[in-house]
Amino acid sequence: MTEPLVVFDGVVKRYGDVTAVKHLDLTIDKGEFVALMGPSGCGKTTSLRMLAGLEDPSAGDIRIGGRSMKDIPAHERDTPLVWQSLALFPFLNVRENVEFGLKMRGVSAPERRTRAGDWLDRMGMKDFGARRIDQLSGGQKQRVALARSLVTEPEMLLLDEPLSALDAHLVIRMQGVLTRLQRELGITFVYVTHSQSEAFAMADRVVIMGEGEIAQIGTPHEVYRAPATRFVAEFVGRNNIFTRPDGREFSVAADRVSVASQRPDDAAVECSFISEEFAGTSIVLYLETATGDEIKASIDEATLSALDPEPGATLWASWGPDAEHELGKG
Amino acid sequence: MPQTSSAYKYTWRLPILIWQAAFFLVPLAFMLVMTFWLVKNYRMQPDFVLKNWDKMFSRGYFWDAYWLTLGRATLAAIIVSIVAFPASFALAFKVSDTTRRWAVFFLIIPFFTSYLVRIYAWQVILAEQGVINAMIGSVGIGPVTMLNSGFGAMIGYLTLTLPLVVILQTFSLAAVDRNLIEAAWNLGCGRARTIRAVIIPSARIGLILGAIFCFILSFGDFVSPYYLGGSKPPTLSILIIDTTKSGQQWPRAAVVAICMIVTLFVAAFAAIGAAYGRPKR
Amino acid sequence: MRAVLLLYLAAVFVFVFAPIVASIVFSFNSDRFPTIPLGSFSMEWYVKAFSDEGVWVAFKNSLIVSVCAATLSTFIGFATAYTDYRYGFRFKGAYIALALLPPTVPLIILALAMLAWLSQLGLSGTLTGIVIAHTVLGAPFAMAVTRLRLSQMDPSLEAAAWNLGASEWSAMRHVILPFCLPAILSAFCLTAAVSFDEFAVAWFVSGLNKTVPVMILEILQGNVDPRINAIGTVVFLTSMTLVIAAQLLLMAKGKST
Repeated sequence: MTEPLVVFDGVVKRYGDVTAVKHLDLTIDKGEFVALMGPSGCGKTTSLRMLAGLEDPSAGDIRIGGRSMKDIPAHERDTPLVWQSLALFPFLNVRENVEFGLKMRGVSAPERRTRAGDWLDRMGMKDFGARRIDQLSGGQKQRVALARSLVTEPEMLLLDEPLSALDAHLVIRMQGVLTRLQRELGITFVYVTHSQSEAFAMADRVVIMGEGEIAQIGTPHEVYRAPATRFVAEFVGRNNIFTRPDGREFSVAADRVSVASQRPDDAAVECSFISEEFAGTSIVLYLETATGDEIKASIDEATLSALDPEPGATLWASWGPDAEHELGKG
Repeated sequence: MPQTSSAYKYTWRLPILIWQAAFFLVPLAFMLVMTFWLVKNYRMQPDFVLKNWDKMFSRGYFWDAYWLTLGRATLAAIIVSIVAFPASFALAFKVSDTTRRWAVFFLIIPFFTSYLVRIYAWQVILAEQGVINAMIGSVGIGPVTMLNSGFGAMIGYLTLTLPLVVILQTFSLAAVDRNLIEAAWNLGCGRARTIRAVIIPSARIGLILGAIFCFILSFGDFVSPYYLGGSKPPTLSILIIDTTKSGQQWPRAAVVAICMIVTLFVAAFAAIGAAYGRPKR
Repeated sequence: MRAVLLLYLAAVFVFVFAPIVASIVFSFNSDRFPTIPLGSFSMEWYVKAFSDEGVWVAFKNSLIVSVCAATLSTFIGFATAYTDYRYGFRFKGAYIALALLPPTVPLIILALAMLAWLSQLGLSGTLTGIVIAHTVLGAPFAMAVTRLRLSQMDPSLEAAAWNLGASEWSAMRHVILPFCLPAILSAFCLTAAVSFDEFAVAWFVSGLNKTVPVMILEILQGNVDPRINAIGTVVFLTSMTLVIAAQLLLMAKGKST
């Protein structure tokens, strides 16, 4: 059992009266691709910044490679970050941007040039060295930002929602680039995002955060199929949440709900059809029960044409008992 | 970075503090203190007497100068604001963004360029034998005396403040929400009424700021009244010069200066209150 | 209606630039007292003005004072702008207000206060005294110009430098300063122009060490002297060049995102 690379030990961050991170206990192993996920304000970015040394914890400790980071300032840590805005230096050309980290570490000019050149090559930007930053496309800037962070051969790479400014098709492409890179280099990636699809596409483990605390940690599959709390169930996937008479809550994933125009069995729920939403490979139907609750059901095109529902039409929603997943408190 | 070193932080934080304290605040404070000193045999002596204040306030010419300066500065603020308005209006609403930027670019130039020489040029242009009189003389009018009068001084104040006031007004007018203007049109407001009821109130801050800057600059200026306005009767600024240069009576001059500061402070306060104060109806 | 307004706008520009144009035109005019119709073209006044030793000395003094005051103003202005950009602290509002206060005090009052205080310090009548006063006046402008530029900077840029291994000083040297360079140069030009044209404080504070504006003031107090136009034209061209340069530097395209 190897020592984890990063340990958050009871980390707290307060800004005046506001507690951004309540009590973070998290370990990250070498070579892992970890995603910190959650809505805005959940503390994921703050946690990343504390790891990079850009904020100081109010309490608790962060250890990297077993060494406490308490008095280690940001510029002495080996935690390069890919920024949301990319933060490329506009007064330097591409090659100079990539060389920056090496220059700060005192690497000689010829060696810097070689290593930066290698990385640009690796990112498919071989002849871009002399270009100015404002001459690059979004995707090209991304790759320069990556090269800049990785040229110093760090143990880990931090990423703060780097794909949020890209067009949808570029996002898919970059996800592939990132996943491939991580596998090839074998280094740890700590990736912050609010996008479920990004996290699930790339991460080995996801950490769902809400209101400064961890709500659940697990593989994407675990979190998707077995959300621990209501918060996770609402944030991840498309889930329906119901409350039993005794107050316990359970969730049913939308893709486990079957919809029929005739009542299939006694357990089925009578609903009226509200609307439909095209979601790529499936369609989500929004139904309303007699008591006014909303039920989401994910169906395929064939089923949709068979049902061919009119607004207000009566439909029957049902699911197997194994589709019900108990939710914990929190 | 949370760990910022003190040396780094204070290297950047202290210079202005030290400089302004030593060479701006202290001189002004000293000037106040100086009003209580005496001048004997052309040398100043530390003391604490009210003699200088007494002497100044009891002099008729001080109060004449005070009201004259106040009156002229107020008039200047009003006249320059009015003169500037159609031009600012044009720049804000009737020209393209690019034209506006270039107009401001060019207006900034005279603001930073030798006021003194420009006033001298006006002196020549407005003189009895000057360009203006020569021009109107050729059609049989004149000659008109323009120098050594309130008119001359006003031309001077315009020269000093018009560019700045136009720039301030333009920015303010250009920032008025176009939706508001359209709404007014929609509701049947005519052009003039829209200007009065919607545009001017929305641009209030910039208009008042322009006026107050004009007031402050004109109130303190000595060049225009001296070279274009005929230096008699003197304004407060000319009074300071005379008292300092000829009489070496620095403490008396300081009294005048302090009175000017207080007046300007009150005026600025009132203007800022009017600009940012009452919420729009 | 639009045509009328545009005509008015043009008239305002004519009014504003008339004295400048007039001065330049008259400087080449042979008549002693300029009026219409103009006399013949002549360089006489330039020759007369610049064969006077005193004029050269005044220009030299103005140059020294402007350069020194601009350097100090730009440094202090930059430091203040960076402090405003990076740090929050108690009384920061008052701090910034203090930094921006000088232009609101009438020059004549500042002139008197400076004269009195600098005399106490024994700096009256020296160029150093004028440099000090001009720095007080120039720093706020330098600060405003630099602060504007800093607000155009990606807020993550400085942190990105630290993140890549640069210490604070290193980040300043390799990131902040290069980014702010256009603004720093612009601030230098602007404060140099302000200093070059400043006459009130210089008049009060300088004794025998006159700057050009002081010299102009003294000539103006005498009889009509057409040398003023020649000197004035040179002064105009100098300040206008500086102000135009300052503005162009700030407009420099790209490099801001």
